[in-house]
Amino acid sequence: MITREDILNIALLAKLDVAEDELDNLTKEMSAVVAFADAVNEADIKTESFDNVNNLANVFRSDEVQPSLPNEEIIKNALDSDDGYFVVKKRA
Amino acid sequence: MSEAIGTIKKLNEKLVKKEISCTELTKLYLNEIDKCNGELNAYVNITEETALETAKTVDEKLAKGMEIAPLEGIPMTLKDNISTNGIETTCCSKILKGYKPIYNATVWDHLKSQNAVMLGKTNLDEFAMGSTCETSCFGGAKNPHDTDYVAGGSSGGVSSAVGGNIAAYGLGSDTGGSIRQPASFCGIVGLKPTYGAVSRYGLIAFASSLDQIGPITKTVEDTALVYDAISEFDPKDSTSQGRRNNPTTPTLKNSIKGMKIGILKEYMTGIGDEIAASVENAKEVYKSLGAEIIETSLPAVKYALPVYYILACAEASSNLGRYDGIRYGYKTDRYDSIHEMMCKTRSEGFGAEVKRRILLGTYVLSAGYYDAYYKKAQDLRGAIMKGFNELFEKCDVIIAPTVPMTALKKGQNAGNPTENYLTDLCTVPVNIAGIPAVSVPCGVAKNGMPIGLQIIGPSFSEPTILNAAWQFETATHDSVFKVSPYGVKL
Amino acid sequence: MNYELVSGFETHVELSTKTKIFCGCTTQFGGDPNTHCCPICIGLPGTLPKLNEQVVHYAIMAGLATNCEIANVAKMDRKNYCYPDLPKAYQISQFDMPLCKNGYVELSNGRKIRILRIHIEEDAGKLIHQQGNTYIDYNRGGVPLIEIVSEPDIRTVEEAKEYVEKLQLIMRYIGVSDCKMQEGSMRCDVNISVRPKGSEELGTRTEIKNMNSITFIAKAMEYEFERQVSVVESGGKVVQETLRYDEASDTTSSMRGKEDAHDYRYFREPDLVTINVLDSLIEEIRESLPELPFVKLQRYIDELGIPETDAQLLTKYRKIAEYFEDSIKGTQNPRTAANFILGQIFKRLENESAKEEFDIKTTADQLREMILLIESGKVKMNLAKSTLEKMLDTGKAFGELVSESDMAGLSDEALIELCKQAVSENPNAVADYKAGKEKALKSILGTVMKNSRGKADANMAEAKLKELLS
Ligand SMILES: [Mg+2]
Ligand SMILES: [Zn+2]
Repeated sequence: MITREDILNIALLAKLDVAEDELDNLTKEMSAVVAFADAVNEADIKTESFDNVNNLANVFRSDEVQPSLPNEEIIKNALDSDDGYFVVKKRA
Repeated sequence: MSEAIGTIKKLNEKLVKKEISCTELTKLYLNEIDKCNGELNAYVNITEETALETAKTVDEKLAKGMEIAPLEGIPMTLKDNISTNGIETTCCSKILKGYKPIYNATVWDHLKSQNAVMLGKTNLDEFAMGSTCETSCFGGAKNPHDTDYVAGGSSGGVSSAVGGNIAAYGLGSDTGGSIRQPASFCGIVGLKPTYGAVSRYGLIAFASSLDQIGPITKTVEDTALVYDAISEFDPKDSTSQGRRNNPTTPTLKNSIKGMKIGILKEYMTGIGDEIAASVENAKEVYKSLGAEIIETSLPAVKYALPVYYILACAEASSNLGRYDGIRYGYKTDRYDSIHEMMCKTRSEGFGAEVKRRILLGTYVLSAGYYDAYYKKAQDLRGAIMKGFNELFEKCDVIIAPTVPMTALKKGQNAGNPTENYLTDLCTVPVNIAGIPAVSVPCGVAKNGMPIGLQIIGPSFSEPTILNAAWQFETATHDSVFKVSPYGVKL
Repeated sequence: MNYELVSGFETHVELSTKTKIFCGCTTQFGGDPNTHCCPICIGLPGTLPKLNEQVVHYAIMAGLATNCEIANVAKMDRKNYCYPDLPKAYQISQFDMPLCKNGYVELSNGRKIRILRIHIEEDAGKLIHQQGNTYIDYNRGGVPLIEIVSEPDIRTVEEAKEYVEKLQLIMRYIGVSDCKMQEGSMRCDVNISVRPKGSEELGTRTEIKNMNSITFIAKAMEYEFERQVSVVESGGKVVQETLRYDEASDTTSSMRGKEDAHDYRYFREPDLVTINVLDSLIEEIRESLPELPFVKLQRYIDELGIPETDAQLLTKYRKIAEYFEDSIKGTQNPRTAANFILGQIFKRLENESAKEEFDIKTTADQLREMILLIESGKVKMNLAKSTLEKMLDTGKAFGELVSESDMAGLSDEALIELCKQAVSENPNAVADYKAGKEKALKSILGTVMKNSRGKADANMAEAKLKELLS
């Protein structure tokens, strides 16, 4: 059973705000979703280990420098930037 | 045989024979987009200028008498979660509005190098999370056969555009059915390739171990053409393997006499009567083509849906952590701390379904729950994969419904998340197993909405499943193909 | 009651690869903000990581050099937390299948500090907080790290210092990192708890984050030890928390607010595939490892007869040790080379980093050539010493600076001539000497040596002078 506290705790981890008036509804919804997911725990079949989809291994890059992108490109999409830095500006 | 309209093959012929110039063709499509998109809501961003520029390049080549590649000059679209350098890529989320990638997805590099004429970027459920396209921040794409119905999701925009003849083809992405389901709803063909066949580099991740880019087209032959163009090994994607076969297109039209086609009990329960009837019909078609039908079972498939939601949400909760307002996309106005800035940005920027899935994903990975959910789901994934492998020792392919129902009415399941999840019942097992499947039209329901047949094969068996699909399409085209009233009629 | 310190270290070491762990951007230190970046290392949506093979090799080297078992199968995991220095909101690291485990580092007192594990991961970006704004630079984001996690086996501040120095020495020696603490390429998280001496139980621990100076590690540990002892003695309980050490006040303080409730939600990184390490690769890497400093030290003492303090200096820097070993090939007494290196050459290396670089003009071959001449008796020590200075200044070989005839030294007649000349040039000194001031002879001798341009043998000249003045 998922509780209001669970919701608040995972919202904090996920960096999402949950308003007080959403909490009951969200708890109900999430309980339904979790109950749906709970089916895996009733599974009566033999499980198998899984590591990656095509069982690939040892896919590497060699240690060779590739050009980086110009700073203008890197920060182009940031709403706040200054002197080449990404910035979280004070906006109280 | 009623002709399929606006196929890649046909448009290519017209260009080569100089019946129409690429610029004229492009303008024709742009014109129709102008007329129809208001109603279909397929496109969220129209890239007229680059489309016409590319068209001009193609016309110059044609004028010089140069040969053109099959996809060259063909008007197409990309789902708006595929990164395009300098062209806004939003995932139909408020949190990415205004974001212009500074690099191209590998698939777009491939198509661009063949002078594909991109008309624009198309609609999807926000971050590809949904089955109706209705979680898009731009509103949902409509079904080109009846706009009271949804186009499906999450690649609803591509399917609406291709089905509605305002793009010859498009690329979608399929995490739990997002190519096959809307293709089925819109009466067209969609392929979810083998995991690793098509590079994911530049596809904005929903669930990394399940996501795969694939074509949405009008015919199986077109799907093979596009698949061949995009299924190259990509050193930028560690999970990439390429198609591991020679091009698929030439292998179509092989006889399927003696092909062993499996039908799983699990896929035939809990589905609509009309859907069941159309699969029964497909069985007969295949028998008449000389295939052998094997009725069989794969119990592990029963758990595919919860396994899928656990794994997909877990990966999504991690993949979507990066939208914090700092480097790109939406950022909230006022805040007292970085923590508050991030929380407000994310809470204002993400829609309800996305938040719900992030929360579920966070929950199943959190301390104390990991073993009960994530670990268990991983182990079941292993079981499902093994089950399919064993099945493919007995069968060459499996046929199944693509979706247990036909297209939903707009708003039908609003506010009922788990009900919506059921539309993915028949599509998710394929993503879990990493294997390929194609959806082809196989009938029309009484309400006029199309029905899709899913053909599933083992890893890297695209030539086999596409051949089986081509045989079916050829045998049934007159009875199952439905022309939408919208768009270009060429 | 007597209390005992119990401490374990998590040491982050930046690897000396040319490129970052998951993209081709340079790892060069510094640079204008956000200029060593690409779509991958700033975590743009849709980008994918690709593992740098050299990182795996370096981690295996580090593991072998610290007596670890190397895993045949490893994988990468995501460690999820949201912070502006982490552009993907997860760090790609290793959780339950690290590349190396169960090693140890042996201290000079014979105690072994067990290494629990060594794993590979990516570094975060750099944040600068200024006037309420936060400036973010991702140049360092994605630089490869190994994290070396020790068991809580450290019992004193001295052991802690030696442990860190030893790790630094090993990593530099095998060439996987420059371990420059001031540049942050080696940083330690220090876990500390206290318990009554003799007790086997572990107390509640605190963790001091991100220490990058051995001096401050020592100070912080001393402070934190005292603090915990006084908490326990006053009947309180140590709270498990993460601390920051403030250098100015020499105190520790709690780092986290409630919004930082941490639960890393580790899971396998789906964008990367399994790492299989073949035994043949492990052996190949083991073969390629240089002799480790403490093995070298013992060999210098036992086999080369170098005094321990000298052997320590010679083995502390890999380049110096290699130079030393090259310069003694074929010579009779290794101590000759050792003396030249630790004397005249060391004088020219002012600080640690100069010793680390060991950028000197004279090659080991050139030094060896000179030593062979000394050992064959062709060259006198005095001439060798003065010529070495010139060699170090110019990079020229001994033979270029000193001719055969110079080497042959002075004939008796020439020496007597020079002595006579010196006597006549120094009448006052001669008078003093004759008056009984033995020391006055030195300045006359100086003149002989100067006029002979170092060719004269000082002992012989002194004897001749005494003869002349008697
Ligand atoms: Mg770490
Ligand atoms: Zn980079």
